[in-house]
Amino acid sequence: MDGKAIYHDYQRPILGAVSVLAVVSLWEAALTYVIPLNPFFFTKPSLVAIAFKEQIIDGALWNDLLVSSRAFFWGFSFAVLLGIPLGAFMGWRRRAEYTLDPFLTALYASPLVALAPLIIVVFGVGLLAKSALVFVLSIFPFIFNTFAGVRSTDRLLIDVVRSFGGRERDLYLKVIFPSTLPYIIAGARIALGRGLVGIIVGEFYAASEGIGYAISRFGDTYRLPEMFAGILVLMIAAVVLTEGMRKLEALLAPWRAAQETR
Amino acid sequence: MKRVATFYAENEHHILGGGFILLLLLFWESTPLVFPLPKGVSLFFTTPSRVAEACYQLIVENKIQEHFYTSAVEFLAGLGLAVAVGLPLGLVTGRSRVLDAMIDPFITVFNATPRLIFLPLFILWFGIGIWSKIMIVFVGALFPLLINTYEGVKNVDRVLVNVVKSFGASEWQTMRIVVLPNSVPYLVAGLRLAIGRAILGVVVGEFFGASKGLGFMIATAATNYKVDVVFVGMAIFMGLSLILTMAVKKVESRLARWRPEETKTF
Repeated sequence: MDGKAIYHDYQRPILGAVSVLAVVSLWEAALTYVIPLNPFFFTKPSLVAIAFKEQIIDGALWNDLLVSSRAFFWGFSFAVLLGIPLGAFMGWRRRAEYTLDPFLTALYASPLVALAPLIIVVFGVGLLAKSALVFVLSIFPFIFNTFAGVRSTDRLLIDVVRSFGGRERDLYLKVIFPSTLPYIIAGARIALGRGLVGIIVGEFYAASEGIGYAISRFGDTYRLPEMFAGILVLMIAAVVLTEGMRKLEALLAPWRAAQETR
Repeated sequence: MKRVATFYAENEHHILGGGFILLLLLFWESTPLVFPLPKGVSLFFTTPSRVAEACYQLIVENKIQEHFYTSAVEFLAGLGLAVAVGLPLGLVTGRSRVLDAMIDPFITVFNATPRLIFLPLFILWFGIGIWSKIMIVFVGALFPLLINTYEGVKNVDRVLVNVVKSFGASEWQTMRIVVLPNSVPYLVAGLRLAIGRAILGVVVGEFFGASKGLGFMIATAATNYKVDVVFVGMAIFMGLSLILTMAVKKVESRLARWRPEETKTF
């Protein structure tokens, strides 16, 4: 009776955990007992676990992770620093919107990743090219979400502040900023995904270190367990960052979390 | 004078937007004429007129058509596959609580991870031919379609479902009469996102171990310092994404007038 109640309360996490465990054990069992394992073509969870321990816990991949996150950090920071003011400016001045919107929309819609080879040829294979790539890809969600946030500010609140004698500064700090923040966080989540694409493509294309480089190198040398371990690390990082951002979003704007589509 | 002013007031939107783009192109074109560029920079520099000339050359030599064809096949096959898998899977997970709970961890993880990370694996599995690219396009486009269809099913009107059910409809009939039509606008919204991901997959997939395709053309041009050809490829991708997303957006706004568009996403 008690077990049933617990199952009812935690149905989703229990079922989720069960299905993940089932997939992993089926994968392991199939390649151990049913299909002969061709190590150049496929691998199994137990081997991935060993590789994971060697590469991550014993430290072979830490340097790669550090290199990648440094490039990500610089590109993303500059995207925040430039994207948010630009978006706010577009949202606040109608003429600025008219002028910049078509141009920026065209850039946002186009696969700027196609410029990756050129960026790498121009800036070299180091930190600078990868940061530039992350910046180029992740600035647009900040611009357009800040823009939408400023635009959606309640006119009534602005009028209230004005008629009670609030100054321009109060307007920005007390009305516009709080109502724009959830939009910015939502944009940050999209930018995160695009920034990760930038890092990966940059490191696949030409690099000598970094997590993306490690994964493609393991692939080239048929070290599949190590490659899967690298993919696993990247997945964990991506999920932690995305879910963290989602939590932040729910915290700052619980009323928006409900109507959100992924 | 007054007519000019009213004309401007009516079309300010287009004049400012188009004018800015024209101004940028003009500035770009005239930069090497006004500022003498150092040799190191001029190697990486091109102007719009030279890009147009390179484009014309490539069309005459029949090169673009060939690359374009390969890329288009990869794009269409991958996207088609994604629709064929994502739509049914989204419908089923939206309707069944148990399946939803079981698939959810996988969707969360794979949706957060850039699927391009699987490219080395796919090249290993499917070779450097067209199939590894189709697969990378497929996994890229699958999740927006799947997740949006799922949302559509979840947002179906409970009353309608109950009405159909109480008149004795089976699960299959409920799906066909109520659920599927309701989730079509969501699916189209997902398609818009999926197009972006699919193009991304085509471009990046062709950077590595390809011998044909527009992405391959860009990558080889960049390593040979043919900057104008890089921009030709970029312009083609830009035009295609704009045309495709705008077309889907038209359909989307027709299908879902009642759903507010909040922010731009691509």
